[in-house]
Amino acid sequence: MTGEDAVTTKNILAVLLLLCVGACAGSVKFRDPNMDFGSIQKVAVLPFTNLTRDEKASDRVRDVYMNMLMATGGLYLLPPGEVARGISRAQLADRTAPSEEEIKRLGGVLGVDAVMTGVVKEYGEVRSGSVSSNLVSLSLQMFEVKTGKVVWSASSTKGGVSTMDRLFGGGGKPMNIVTEEAVIDLINKLYK
Amino acid sequence: MTSSTSYTSKAILVLIAGLVFLSGCSATRKEVTESPSTLPHTIFKKSLYDLPIAVLPVENLSGNTAPLKNIRKTLIESLKARRFKVLEEELLEEFMARHRLRYIGGIDGTTAKAFREETGAGSVLITSLELYDDSTQPKIALISRLVSLNASPVILWMDSVGLAGDDAPGFLDLGLIENPVVLRNKALRSLSVSLAGSLSEKGDRDSAEEKRKKFRPKIAFRSPAFVPEARHTVAVIPFFNESLRKYAGEIMQLHMVQEMAKVENIKVIEPGVVRKELLAFRIIMEDGISLAQADIAWEALNADLLLTGKVMDYQDYQGADGAPVVDFSLLVMERKGREVGWASKSYNKGTDGVWFFDMGRGRTASAMASEMARIVRGMMWK
Repeated sequence: MTGEDAVTTKNILAVLLLLCVGACAGSVKFRDPNMDFGSIQKVAVLPFTNLTRDEKASDRVRDVYMNMLMATGGLYLLPPGEVARGISRAQLADRTAPSEEEIKRLGGVLGVDAVMTGVVKEYGEVRSGSVSSNLVSLSLQMFEVKTGKVVWSASSTKGGVSTMDRLFGGGGKPMNIVTEEAVIDLINKLYK
Repeated sequence: MTSSTSYTSKAILVLIAGLVFLSGCSATRKEVTESPSTLPHTIFKKSLYDLPIAVLPVENLSGNTAPLKNIRKTLIESLKARRFKVLEEELLEEFMARHRLRYIGGIDGTTAKAFREETGAGSVLITSLELYDDSTQPKIALISRLVSLNASPVILWMDSVGLAGDDAPGFLDLGLIENPVVLRNKALRSLSVSLAGSLSEKGDRDSAEEKRKKFRPKIAFRSPAFVPEARHTVAVIPFFNESLRKYAGEIMQLHMVQEMAKVENIKVIEPGVVRKELLAFRIIMEDGISLAQADIAWEALNADLLLTGKVMDYQDYQGADGAPVVDFSLLVMERKGREVGWASKSYNKGTDGVWFFDMGRGRTASAMASEMARIVRGMMWK
């Protein structure tokens, strides 16, 4: 093998590595290998942090997420009113991003095994040239109440302008459908 | 076997089958007549034509100005045309002034009892205006219910109507209604016809589930512990309103009450009674009802199910172009076990499932919400 061939091989390997890394970036997920997820039965989903321009985006996404997670039958979620009462009794400084100590305190007040928080990063219409489409991007974290540590974390982005949209136009899927897709993706990541 | 023996055995078989069939019919009839939920209705309904109905002023949930007095006047005329006795205006006004009755969206037990004793009325008609648009493409939506006047008020009849001028434009737009008064009268006539119809032998109780798939909840959860066949006393609490529409929480509450009142084995607590107890115990919901608040409500209302939820969207549109949007989630909490028995999320747009010439297009949020509530109720009490 000449020196030129070796350089070409290295370049190909570098491209393949980049492709692998790129592919991995689409499914960001952390799952504590030491955690027994089967022991989690009762969960409190806190209000999500809203980083979008739509004031109600976090409430809308949380509503879909809670209903869908409940519908799986795998976990029991506390009603949102009870979670709100727990937040006020545990005196959380930030109801969307509690500290380790606050998680433990909240868990004690509500009697849950885990607490979930979330961040809605994108929610609404995105444009690319003359084409527009709906997009949702969110990330979720699960904290174990006993330790207050993150045991699971994942993010998902769904919707956006696809090649088909660019070629044939169309406004993309409705916001509710895109939200459901993102939520289903996250629930799959929680169970798999 | 001879032919005569064969004929005799066949005749016996037919006789037995007939007896079994008849006994089945009689058992069913007995079950219906002895059902505790239908019995009070029958008694009350018989007296409806004899005792006057107190027609309360119309509650405005539309968020806009509307000719409420005219609506009430037309409603009274429509009831009188169908042989109903209506309580005299002076008697009603005197009673309302004496008891400082300002809330007209419901009635509690104490007021109901006093109403009957002091005015002699047998029932009260509570009407809420959900939508009123008197533009060139008028729209109107009303929810009305008849409540018995006694210490524990019972909902005797409840119905809603949501109409738009362009609901059925027909050939060359000949069916288009551009006059809001005509549309208003049509809506009020529809309500009084429904009330009169509920007194007929056919009855107004309906347990059939509509098979319109597009209005089904998109997500649904039923707890294995939730037994819909059991007898339940249900309190429907105003929904938490996250939408831009004023009173959307109260409107969704009324749509759910209307549907729940149709189920045979449940007793729905009159929303006026629910409101009084929530106020008495100063239950203010932050993000829905908490378990501690639910405990108080279960005890005070003697209910075993609490039905509440969240309205994310409740939009009607002005004029001819647009589509209404309804988006709500529903939560049923059981006293036994203090857990969620049912949770679902429903959302629809007026243009859902519309492919040709606006066929099947929804024009009012009220009509859509009513249909969505009917489907959820059907799935819950399947």
